[in-house]
Amino acid sequence: MFKLNLKIALRSLFKNKVYAAINIGGLAIGLTAFILMLLYVNHEESYDTWSPQLKDVYQVREKHSFFSPDNEDHWQEINDSRMANLVRENIPQALAVTRVTADWGFSSGYSVKIAHADPVMVTGMKDADSSFFQVFPYEFLQGDSESALNAPKSVVLKESLARKLFGTEKVLGKTLKVLMWRNDPGTDLTITGVVADPVTPQSVGFNALMRTGEEDKVPESAGNFHYCQIYTKLNQVADTGALNQSLLKIYTDYQKKSLVQRKLQYNEIYKNGKTPGLKVIPLKDVHLNPPFKLSWVEKLRPVIGISIFLLVVSIINFVNLATAQSVQRAKEVGVKKVLGVYKRELIAQFLVESALQSMISLFLCVVLIEVVLPTFNHHFNVQLSFWLNPQLKTMLIQLIGLFSVVTLLAGFYPSWVLSNYNPVAVLKGSYESGLKGVVLRNGLVVFQFVISITFIIAIGIMHRQTQFMSNKDLGFERGELVNIKTNYDESFAEKLRKIPGVQYVATTTQVMGNAFNVPEEIIYKGKQLNMNTVTVSMDALPSLGVRVLQGRLFAKTYKQDTINTVILNEAAANLIDKKPVGKSYSIKDGDKSYVFQIVGVIKNYHNEGFDKAVLPTIYKVTHLGGTSSTNNLLLRLNTSNTGEIMKKVQSEWKQAYPDYPMEYKAMDDVFADVLKENNRFINMIVLFSILSVSLSLLGLFALSTFVAKRRTKEVAVRKVLGASNLQIINLLNRSFLLLVLIANLISWPIAYILVKKWLDGFAYRIDMPVYPFLIATIVSLVVSALTVSIQARKAANGDPVHALKYE
Amino acid sequence: MIQLNNIEKYYANKGIKNYVLRLVTTTIKQGEFVSIMGPSGAGKSTLLNIIGMLEEPTYGSYEFLGEDVTSLNERKRIELYRNHIGFVFQAYHLIDEMTVYENIEAPLLYKKVGSSERASRIADLLDRFNIVAKKDLFPNQLSGGQQQLVGIARALAAQPSIILADEPTGNLQSAQAEEIMTLFKKLNQEDGITIIQVTHSEKNAQYGNRILHIADGVVKEDVAVG
Repeated sequence: MFKLNLKIALRSLFKNKVYAAINIGGLAIGLTAFILMLLYVNHEESYDTWSPQLKDVYQVREKHSFFSPDNEDHWQEINDSRMANLVRENIPQALAVTRVTADWGFSSGYSVKIAHADPVMVTGMKDADSSFFQVFPYEFLQGDSESALNAPKSVVLKESLARKLFGTEKVLGKTLKVLMWRNDPGTDLTITGVVADPVTPQSVGFNALMRTGEEDKVPESAGNFHYCQIYTKLNQVADTGALNQSLLKIYTDYQKKSLVQRKLQYNEIYKNGKTPGLKVIPLKDVHLNPPFKLSWVEKLRPVIGISIFLLVVSIINFVNLATAQSVQRAKEVGVKKVLGVYKRELIAQFLVESALQSMISLFLCVVLIEVVLPTFNHHFNVQLSFWLNPQLKTMLIQLIGLFSVVTLLAGFYPSWVLSNYNPVAVLKGSYESGLKGVVLRNGLVVFQFVISITFIIAIGIMHRQTQFMSNKDLGFERGELVNIKTNYDESFAEKLRKIPGVQYVATTTQVMGNAFNVPEEIIYKGKQLNMNTVTVSMDALPSLGVRVLQGRLFAKTYKQDTINTVILNEAAANLIDKKPVGKSYSIKDGDKSYVFQIVGVIKNYHNEGFDKAVLPTIYKVTHLGGTSSTNNLLLRLNTSNTGEIMKKVQSEWKQAYPDYPMEYKAMDDVFADVLKENNRFINMIVLFSILSVSLSLLGLFALSTFVAKRRTKEVAVRKVLGASNLQIINLLNRSFLLLVLIANLISWPIAYILVKKWLDGFAYRIDMPVYPFLIATIVSLVVSALTVSIQARKAANGDPVHALKYE
Repeated sequence: MIQLNNIEKYYANKGIKNYVLRLVTTTIKQGEFVSIMGPSGAGKSTLLNIIGMLEEPTYGSYEFLGEDVTSLNERKRIELYRNHIGFVFQAYHLIDEMTVYENIEAPLLYKKVGSSERASRIADLLDRFNIVAKKDLFPNQLSGGQQQLVGIARALAAQPSIILADEPTGNLQSAQAEEIMTLFKKLNQEDGITIIQVTHSEKNAQYGNRILHIADGVVKEDVAVG
């Protein structure tokens, strides 16, 4: 019997090829979007799951306000290195504790030189103390975890890196020369081990793990700090809550002692709600809770929502079409009922049919995934694969689950409707389904269109915002500006200045692509204000091409500029004084107090994404009150022949720093990077909306076909009574257009709220425009009218004699 | 075999009862060939539907094979369909997605008849109705008369004790109609299958051995034929 049912299912699929194709294709599209999302979620969830022993590994997090952009307390991964000893000595469950260099985020890698080969940049080189492999259970292919890092100046490579550098993993005893910055004399490290690449991603990822000795040191003076990440392996901790409580107590005691040594007041530091804090979190929670950043779950939430929506839309289509089509199968149901078939057998039969269709869509979807995955990977900067996925087994289980859910969702309602047909009515030929089904189907059509129209509106507004951003005045000239990734060295800068075409060579800690904010509290006319300080060289502001609003820029001719002058940006000036030039403020450093004089105000210039407002900033050249520096060497060229000049710069670099490759970026590219994330999001929305709109139209098309078919007799009668073709088309269009109109009314407020929320994420944004709403309405109405008319025209052109004779 | 007592069927519409059947009482014995006749809207089909348990009477009692079946649960009813009742329809109602062979096989599958038994019964029916050559065709490839032959073959496949036929020749040309009616008569006389048919045609009614004349829901006449 199953075989027969399967045969019937296949035959009725073939008989209604178009609808079957729409059904299956639509479902496949919905499934593809959903499974891609699932792949991504699986990837993110697989972080730090490569060994069962990792469940005993914990990250130590300290609560403090250093490095935080808002100057508030945060649980940070970057801790005082003394915390390692604190945990090791005071927590009996701690089997091992290790210190690893913090991921500062602005070093892309180190230069590695093997014998006399050209230096290569290697990313993911981390420094750690000797206990690293006691905490992290890496599998050693060469060497062993016990002794690998015993000696300082040793390094353990991942198999992939070993193969890349040497072409083999048998590299024990070989030496690498590592240069961490451009004029680093270099450290020779001996390879003492090679570990296998774990199958899943790691939050403490590395390509090479070094023990240079840096991480072993603990600063002697209580006032000096070395910051690093700390991980510990604990002996079967059941309750981290209790452990964290004792950690907090130990930490508080320690802080009190330490602050006394540093001649600071505990109550001074921890006031206004600030409290000390130290805790451990399981390694598996680390990737989910990055400090200062949105976690992947939060970032992905809209995408998850959208892909679920798409799946729902395609299931709705499926349900809609299946119920509409069920009329054709009504006779079969009636006959079977009088032949003696149970209702549940009928339900089972129709469920098997929808299972068959979802199975086909699933296969189609796997093919689709193979096709789109490379693009997807490129787009989201991940390495996902379907068949080579380490979690293929989990994936398959999820797919089977998804398959059952889709089959039940899509198949249950139609089979229930079908199996409920009353045989007497059906066999007499009058089986117009009741009003109930119509309401539901119309409801589903409206729902689909609400989603699609919301997308169309969103695209319109997002497009406007994107244009606004890419055309926005940045406040600095990004053309012909190059940023070399290195710190400022006067003699090297002097050499570069001699190259014709180079106008300025300068450094700043604040430029788009690499902005480093140093918070500082200033006192202006007795008021305390929080400012962001940026250290620049003399030529930095002119080389950026900023605009002066009041006063002047720094210049060599003013002796005072190396002593105590500062320039404010507009945001800072707005906080201080409308006319600040010539006035002065002071900062306090311990017992001392420094006075600065304001000599100019510049227009705000953007140095981060448009989601962040430009901070009130003080620019200074002077060393007074401390300086900061980051790897920015700005080159302002006064010719568009960038390539030629950069070749000359490159050769100067090679002479000065033969062991370290030069890295640089044109500011135009940096700006493109800033827009990239946003563009990526918009591309995705565009993609999803195309899918959603086409799914809705497919659904509408199929549904209108059935309605046209169902109303054949009515159309014929009307034609006989003298209705024109156009009147007939209008008649059929009217009910659908009403639905689309209702969908428009519903989606306006929804789109408004969602897009407003998105726009609110930008500090610099457009006002909510009206016309995308109107365009979405017009487009949706026109396109649906066209879609329905294809079928309506057919119905209108039909010969009424056939329809009327049919009885 | 069938005992109807005071069967009534009405639809209440705004408090007014529209009677379709009134106080129908009759007995149909095993082996009879009964024709129900009457003008349009007399309640013939409703009576047949009630006998076939497709509809429930509003009032009255109905015994089938000595068992009260006035209101029956789905399970019992389906058992009766599988084992005792075969339906033949005016519009044939073959399943379009199934071949002739599969259409005839369907009731046997539901009755869970073994495959070799199934094959021999179908072969027998195909042979008897002279449609062996058509067995792999789909219903829309057959003429009306051929479709109705398949419909009857399907009704007979499960070896029912009674066949209920609602205007079985209503859509057929007279030559084909004659063929079908002769077949019914043969089935009734040779195999002893009870047949109840609804018909408009006096000629068709003559093939049976009893006619129930119905008008306005009431049995007006009950006459024996032949």
